[in-house]
Amino acid sequence: MDASNLSIREINSLFTKKELKPSELYSKVFENAANSEAALHAHLTLFEEENIKKAAESDKRFSNGESASLLDGIPIAIKDNINIKNYKTTCSSKMLSNYTSPYDATVIEKLKEQNTLFTGKTNLDEFAMGSSTENSAFGLTKNPWNTDYVPGGSSGGSAASVGARSSIAALGSDTGGSIRQPASFCGLVGFKPTYGTVSRFGLVAFASSLDQIGPITKTVDDSRIIFSSISGEDSRDATSVINNQLNIPSDNTATIGVIKELMEDGISDEAKNEVNKVVEILKSKGYKVKEISIPIIKLSISIYYLIAPAECSANLARFDGVRYGLRVDGNTSYEMMENTRAEGFGAEVKRRILLGTYALSAGYYDEYYGKALQARKEMIDEFAKTFKDVDYLISPTTPTQAFKSGEKTSNPLEMYMSDLCTIPANLAGLPAISIPTGLSKDELPLGVQIMSKPLSDNSLLDFSEIIENEVQFDGQPKGWL
Amino acid sequence: MSNEFNIKNIAKLASINLSEQEQDSLSNDLSIILEHVNALSDLKLNSQQQEIFIHPLEKELELQEDEVVESLTHDEAISNAPESKDGKFVVPPSME
Repeated sequence: MDASNLSIREINSLFTKKELKPSELYSKVFENAANSEAALHAHLTLFEEENIKKAAESDKRFSNGESASLLDGIPIAIKDNINIKNYKTTCSSKMLSNYTSPYDATVIEKLKEQNTLFTGKTNLDEFAMGSSTENSAFGLTKNPWNTDYVPGGSSGGSAASVGARSSIAALGSDTGGSIRQPASFCGLVGFKPTYGTVSRFGLVAFASSLDQIGPITKTVDDSRIIFSSISGEDSRDATSVINNQLNIPSDNTATIGVIKELMEDGISDEAKNEVNKVVEILKSKGYKVKEISIPIIKLSISIYYLIAPAECSANLARFDGVRYGLRVDGNTSYEMMENTRAEGFGAEVKRRILLGTYALSAGYYDEYYGKALQARKEMIDEFAKTFKDVDYLISPTTPTQAFKSGEKTSNPLEMYMSDLCTIPANLAGLPAISIPTGLSKDELPLGVQIMSKPLSDNSLLDFSEIIENEVQFDGQPKGWL
Repeated sequence: MSNEFNIKNIAKLASINLSEQEQDSLSNDLSIILEHVNALSDLKLNSQQQEIFIHPLEKELELQEDEVVESLTHDEAISNAPESKDGKFVVPPSME
């Protein structure tokens, strides 16, 4: 048995019974990293040396029976847009290649309180803008199931790391699917909590009304453990909410809606088949399943690609070569800023800043950004109406299996379409999870997405665990252990 | 919706110095994307209300108490500056 394949609860049980030491597990995940990093490039930086002492402290706590946390001694990888004090936070951008964070993100403070060990910082699409981890200034990350394919994005490094077992779990961020899509492409669980339940303080902002931190894990229970550890209201994030969870049924008294618009053209047969497979299982267990239509979902990409770039253009205005990050000289401050931003940002980031700047500019604001805001409000209302009829909504997580590296890089719109199923949850602030359910004919993972009403995260996790237990997906990428 | 835009003007507003080649390729990309988002113009909305909300759960934002809390020290705040002197950020002149 390889301990790096186990769930957090199983590992904690071995630690408690003194059958495994945190330092042994820590060495094991770094052994896995040594086997996989050259091929996958999941991590941008590995923290091995710095954390050996902390692993030994975990050993001592378990040896003395003093450990009180399920996450004590668990090696977790952190997406490199989340600040850890005294470490670099690059956002995979040349702009921040020399930035060392002087503070911890709230989620990092919380994990440190639980004595979690960090494996390092993982690769992402620059500033979390992308769906394939091909937009990193520091090189591609590959899919651990087949290195010809992308791991998804933007949290592709986090997903590849958990897939190759160079971490037990990882944190990602999800603005339009950046946790769920790479989790699906890598055969893992990816959970985007309700907007506001997890503090964004210390997450480098991309689109503040959409961004949310969450876990990428091997099991639903692992996501539950991490979510309960990192959630909670935070005065340093004005949009954070009190995590007062609603209880909705997860047993077979629950009603499930299949979203019609996400089972039509543009969705592969393989992706639809996974949803149908889960629906049949649920029906056989006595769940009531019905088709639900939410027509405005078809406009998700249009709404998102106005709102997210608009917010991005405002948030990324801070990178001006004055206070932190890259500076490229110029004769005046303005020239310096223009040169710095020309040199520091990659193509996709420039594309989105320009799109957002245009959508917010005088004369175009009403017809672009204003219209998108109205449509977003309408989508939120439509979801609220739908959740009066059903408890959970099911769809594919992604329209297809993982695509090949380079396949979509020349056509930005085609890349954007790969987030069709995941974007609605961000626009409406809903909790949403991707669960792995099967393999495609190319032997690549496929998953289904479940969404529920705001603040029903715990019930969503309970329901997802029922599906996980029924589906029994036990696939794992080969060759990295 | 109109798709007329002047890429040089947008780049100026965004403070990004674009090469000629970038202007061409980004102009082309933006046209394709804007053509797609134009689908929104056909949308018949129930409400004509244009709400600016920053919170999908519609949480009302509250003002914080004016209290001194622990924060970065001056040295920490300036530690990543490309250029600093006597604890201050140094920038090129604003005018030539």
